[in-house]
Amino acid sequence: MSEKLLEVKGLQTKFSTRFGEVMAVRGIDFVVEKGDSIGIVGESGSGKTVTALSVMRLIEKPGIIADGEILYRGRDLLEKSEKGMREVRGKKIAMVFQDPTTSLNPAYTIGNQINEIIKRNTGLSGSLAKGLAKEILYKAGLPGPTKVMKKYPHELSTGMRQRVALAMALSGEPELLIADEPTSALDVTIQAKILKLFEKIKKEKELSMILITHDLGVAAESCNKILIMYGGHIMESGRAKDVLTNPMHPYTKGLLESVPGIRLDSGERLKTIEGRPPDPTKPDQGCPFSERCPHAMRICGLKMPKFHKSENGGSSMCWLLDEKAPRSSFDSFLGGGRL
Amino acid sequence: MEEKTKMPAEMWRPIDRKITENEKTDRKKRCHWSDGWASFKRARLAMAGLLFASFLVLTAFLGPLFFEASMSDQNLKLASIPPVLEIYSLGQDNFAYVHREYKLIQVTEKGQILGRFKPEEDNLKDRFRTYSIEGVDVKLDYSPAGEGKDKRYILTVGQREIFPIEKVYNKTYLFGTDNFGRDLFIRVIYGARISLSIAFAATIVNLFIGVFYGGISGLAGGRMDEMMMRFVDMASAIPMILYVILLTLAIGSGTGSIVLAMGMVYWVHMARIVRGQVLSIKKKDYVSAARISGAGWWRIMTKHLIPNTMGPIIVAMAATIPGAIFTEAFLSFIGLGVPAPQASWGTLVNDALYGIGLYGYQLFFPSAAICLTMLAFNFISDGARDAMDPTSRI
Amino acid sequence: MGRYIAGRIASMIIAVFLITTITFFLLHALPSGPFSSDRPVPESVIEALNEKYKLNDPVLKQYADYMKGIISFDLGPSYRKTGVRVNEIIRESFPISARVGGVSIIAVILLGIPMGVLSAVKKDMWQDRTIMLISAIGITVPSFIAAIAFIYIFSSRLGWFPSYGMYSWKHMVGPVVALSGFSIAFVARLTRASMIEVLQQDYIRTAKANGLSRASIIYKHALKNALAPVLSYLAPMAATILTGSFVVERIFAISGMGKYFVESVLNRDYTVIMGVTVFYAVLLVAFALFADIIHAFLNPRVKLGE
Repeated sequence: MSEKLLEVKGLQTKFSTRFGEVMAVRGIDFVVEKGDSIGIVGESGSGKTVTALSVMRLIEKPGIIADGEILYRGRDLLEKSEKGMREVRGKKIAMVFQDPTTSLNPAYTIGNQINEIIKRNTGLSGSLAKGLAKEILYKAGLPGPTKVMKKYPHELSTGMRQRVALAMALSGEPELLIADEPTSALDVTIQAKILKLFEKIKKEKELSMILITHDLGVAAESCNKILIMYGGHIMESGRAKDVLTNPMHPYTKGLLESVPGIRLDSGERLKTIEGRPPDPTKPDQGCPFSERCPHAMRICGLKMPKFHKSENGGSSMCWLLDEKAPRSSFDSFLGGGRL
Repeated sequence: MEEKTKMPAEMWRPIDRKITENEKTDRKKRCHWSDGWASFKRARLAMAGLLFASFLVLTAFLGPLFFEASMSDQNLKLASIPPVLEIYSLGQDNFAYVHREYKLIQVTEKGQILGRFKPEEDNLKDRFRTYSIEGVDVKLDYSPAGEGKDKRYILTVGQREIFPIEKVYNKTYLFGTDNFGRDLFIRVIYGARISLSIAFAATIVNLFIGVFYGGISGLAGGRMDEMMMRFVDMASAIPMILYVILLTLAIGSGTGSIVLAMGMVYWVHMARIVRGQVLSIKKKDYVSAARISGAGWWRIMTKHLIPNTMGPIIVAMAATIPGAIFTEAFLSFIGLGVPAPQASWGTLVNDALYGIGLYGYQLFFPSAAICLTMLAFNFISDGARDAMDPTSRI
Repeated sequence: MGRYIAGRIASMIIAVFLITTITFFLLHALPSGPFSSDRPVPESVIEALNEKYKLNDPVLKQYADYMKGIISFDLGPSYRKTGVRVNEIIRESFPISARVGGVSIIAVILLGIPMGVLSAVKKDMWQDRTIMLISAIGITVPSFIAAIAFIYIFSSRLGWFPSYGMYSWKHMVGPVVALSGFSIAFVARLTRASMIEVLQQDYIRTAKANGLSRASIIYKHALKNALAPVLSYLAPMAATILTGSFVVERIFAISGMGKYFVESVLNRDYTVIMGVTVFYAVLLVAFALFADIIHAFLNPRVKLGE
């Protein structure tokens, strides 16, 4: 049992918009242990990005963290002042964002931006800082860091920009790195490279990671644990290989089935999950997935399911796993076949 | 500990599914005009502006029909009387107001102006005036004035000094009178008519020239467009007012020429907007689709281009009006605006300059009129712009 | 970058040329010459004057003469003020206007931009609401009304500031307030809107996520990006202040170029009108160029000549 780095309990985050209150995260719990590489998987609107932003306390008006605890090494981040959080961000927990074309300030050179961060997070200055900058940029896979530092963001390719963003995030030697869809804006070939880079850095720096993605394939490759989010809740969580080969939740199953396998025979229809995600402004009416779930029961639309733990340490929030659920429903769920 | 769940068996029955339910589109059809109007209505400031502007337009154009007095009726005896009067009782149902220039004005208790009392003796050397009003001796001694003291005059009835009994609103002249004794209220109303007509007319001239020029430039595209826009760029390097001034000189003064001058100079803004719109619409897929399916240019213009440019055009028009009002007031203020005897708001402000220390109200009403009207139209144009495109506010 | 500047200077010259030409022909299209006036003047006198000033020459020749004069920076004699040359008028009156105008521009930058930043950072709080209210007033009140209101409130009633002339710093206050009021308000709003938009950008979020200080985020990262629209307003602002000077100088009885310009318009003193117009044109175009250069300098994309 390794040490707990991050423990999130009962996190609720909401936004006041003119369409009503959007409850983006509706009470989630998870743990990140040292050395973990947690994948948070879900469709757009499931609350995964908001979760990450909540952990970093980057939620701004009209958003607010309504409830819960975010314990980093035992201390609740939600009780820290803004000043306190500035000591955490970059130095303990760092984040890399999705779109590299907009994540870097167009008005300053790379060198300027990264030097500032290094000065701030390590206290180094002058040529020491510059030296560290070059080193990190190199480690992030940018050959010729001296040249790169003189350039402006718009002079670099998206792949290079994402590496710069990664370098900037790592310069403070954080313990936990959150990457929000780091490859979604990149070409597939670059995607693979960046993921490998993440791997390498994780090993070298003994980094723990939270990787947010909508792509199960990415999660499968890089993560040792997976959380499946839907409608602001964590539907299922567990070890990556368990979740991927033996899903305990209809949504997870649906996700896995909708990935076209390379062996798809022509003429076979692509499987989809019918229906649309729930309205984020409406409170939960039972399980958020109940409207689309092919195995839903009456109770699913009325009461929120409880978490049921499995032997491997995974858990799933579904009434089908309840002892009272009829055997037939459970069988038909399993009967979709093992993958 | 799992609590004992008391759920009846039927809770566990699978749900009957009508999947198509979820995918129904649930929005009523709405055309973007009514969308825009709904959004506009919601903006309270814009609606307030619209209300004020409508009220103003109605008063300005219909109001004068109800007035017998005209804007140029002078009554020098009653010059520069303010809208709020401090009155004195002279006994026997006679009331008076002491004019700033130390004349005695006869008023009623309610505040109606009756006329000026004629002094029996007007002693300029010792600075006093005496009156005999229905047998009562009244003396207005203004020698204390000019010595910097607060009390500028002493009014006595018989031998007793009297003091003001109350402040009343001037019921004869709502806004007071100007330095020629003309009714300021009526002048402001007439001024509204003139200022507004000029502003509207100039906006319409702008509209035509701008739409014409911008439309052609946009439609033509290519070199023609480039050249036309180059010209516009150079033209707008110079402050428009400079040219309006020069044009007014060239064409001669008079309402018509002001309108012409403003129209000939301010069209650049409208032209730019129209051209921008035309260019962006031309590129849109639905225009290509229309052309592919054989629509002629006329049809494309009427069905696609014009309806889609209307939005920004309306916004631009609403935004031009305050500028036109300002320019006209500016010109009139300098002396290049509407010629006498007509008076626009700018003229009124100019006239009021002379009495600025003593008669602040003469300044206040036309200035307030200008500012409020500009504000109202600014709100309207803000509201219109937000209704069309909520992302672009300052 | 150098090529860019050269190109802009070229269009500057063309613009001035065009303006001069248009103004010239405009003035000569006037039905009455500069010497016909309200007072009855004998025909012979008018004729003599016209001869003296070569007004009977064909228009094109007058035009050519005038253009020649411009190139040698000679703007000709004043028609109304005998014995006075236009250059003299400009030379004496411009510094006064320049001082007031210059202070106004500085006021706009030093007041307007910080107001806008404060407003954006404290969005929807009382600082923001107050600033928006004040700027709403600034935008709607025309300069001449502001000038008059200033005199009424601060000179007549309160006696804090003088209402005419230009002899001390106190004399500056009224004119500067009147001239810069609108622009300060406008720049404040512009800056606010721009800052608000910039503060929502991803790169600001990145800066926060990397633990940078509030001050750095606002003043270093956000501000530089937010200033672009303000810079494009610089040139129109100069024009606004310039035209504002016409009325403000009149109201405050300041002997600046604006006052002479208005006078010459009312007196139909052609050469002065022409000369001052050309001078204004050059000023404005130069200012626009200056603003463009600053903009190019701040924007890395142009800086590198792309």
